[in-house]
Amino acid sequence: MLDLYFGEMSRWTDGLILTTVMSTLSVVIGFFVALPIALARSRSKGITGWLALGYVNIFRGVPLLVLMFLIYYGSGQFSRELRSAGLWWFFRDAYYCGLLALVLNTAAYQAEIIRGSLDTIATSVRETNAALNLTRWTSFRRVLLPIAFAKALPPLGNEYILMVKATSLLAIITVFDLMGQARMIFSETFNLGVYYIAAAHYLVLVLLIEWVLRRVEARIKWMA
Amino acid sequence: MVADTAIKFENMNKYFGAFHVLKDINLTIAKGERIVVCGPSGSGKSTLIRCVNALEKYQSGHLYVDGIELDETTSTIRKVRNHVGMCFQHFNLFPHLTALENCTLSPIFTHKIPKAEAEKQAMDYLAKVRMEGFAHKYPSQLSGGQQQRVAIARSLCMKPDIMLFDEPTSALDPESISEVLDVMVDLAGGGMTMMCVTHEMGFARKVADRVVFMDAGEIVEVNDPEGFFANPREERSAKFLKQIINH
Repeated sequence: MLDLYFGEMSRWTDGLILTTVMSTLSVVIGFFVALPIALARSRSKGITGWLALGYVNIFRGVPLLVLMFLIYYGSGQFSRELRSAGLWWFFRDAYYCGLLALVLNTAAYQAEIIRGSLDTIATSVRETNAALNLTRWTSFRRVLLPIAFAKALPPLGNEYILMVKATSLLAIITVFDLMGQARMIFSETFNLGVYYIAAAHYLVLVLLIEWVLRRVEARIKWMA
Repeated sequence: MVADTAIKFENMNKYFGAFHVLKDINLTIAKGERIVVCGPSGSGKSTLIRCVNALEKYQSGHLYVDGIELDETTSTIRKVRNHVGMCFQHFNLFPHLTALENCTLSPIFTHKIPKAEAEKQAMDYLAKVRMEGFAHKYPSQLSGGQQQRVAIARSLCMKPDIMLFDEPTSALDPESISEVLDVMVDLAGGGMTMMCVTHEMGFARKVADRVVFMDAGEIVEVNDPEGFFANPREERSAKFLKQIINH
């Protein structure tokens, strides 16, 4: 088992870095995609509200693995159109396709988390914004968003941890994340121990994220 | 409309659905006048002052604030709110901002005052409410009375002509009540037009020019404080006074 780790250390490290980068990037980009969707879900009763609900339902409803297959393998069907649109460099690359699938998926979940916390903000806060004559943008950016973000931090952290583990699906579309490296090493050694090592990496990564999140939550002292 | 009128209600009516909350309100408040509004709970007194800065809409009649007739357009509402500050029963400070940041938010982002200037001005108002030593504390680190004084400073930073107080002391312990009332008495001495919903009869006696007594959505009596407390003209006022004095 030690050989399996130390003998292949550079591959494990590459996998760990890629898993960390892919999950972090997808959660961060997903957050900014989720913001307008959450706002539309929370405030708009018209067409934008319906569109936002449609987005959430579709991308929460389709399994992540299916989404990855559709984007990576499915885009091949449209390679001519994508080439002429100048987008082929993106869709021919498993890493970009995988990241896109992750972002679309996590944005749907994060939108619901943020919408939930926006909706729990008391009416009195909105009345105060009105009484202080804040513009809509200022009251969203300076008041509602920070309060909603602080409320949403624990479930957002949960989503981050879920995403770390969800990235292991990337291995199926030929991305060499932790799981991808594990599969590769297994195919060379036929030693099931590689999956224990992969599991240990995920566990340590998740514990580390949990520790950071706990510290961040503790620092937001005004939440008390 | 007379130039020295601050607020004028003219046959104003308001409904919550089928419920008639404010009935034919007529009241003219002069600039610099200090009005205390009292009455049993559910009498419409909070709703009345919340109409002045358009937190509530009214359905018929007229309401003029600083010479502007309030309608439902955003531009009118924004214009009126520039003249009106408001303090709430539960202070409503923003929990993620320090006392100072609470005070500078509107000046910096609504009135586009440079940050340094807004902070200097906010410190002056915090000093006025005796909270300058707590400028960098978060609301959760302050007592109720301290939070309410910061909330008053925050409203003053908008340089309003009119201040509305919606039961500013009813969520406070007795000690904090007097520290907030002291600040309000100071403010009243400075010539600010004030409309205050409160049951603090000592405050009403000390600073009010007139007391407005409401019951069941109507203005029952408008009187000077001495007259109101000593010889209320209306039976309903007398009954209300008896209840709050004998509690």
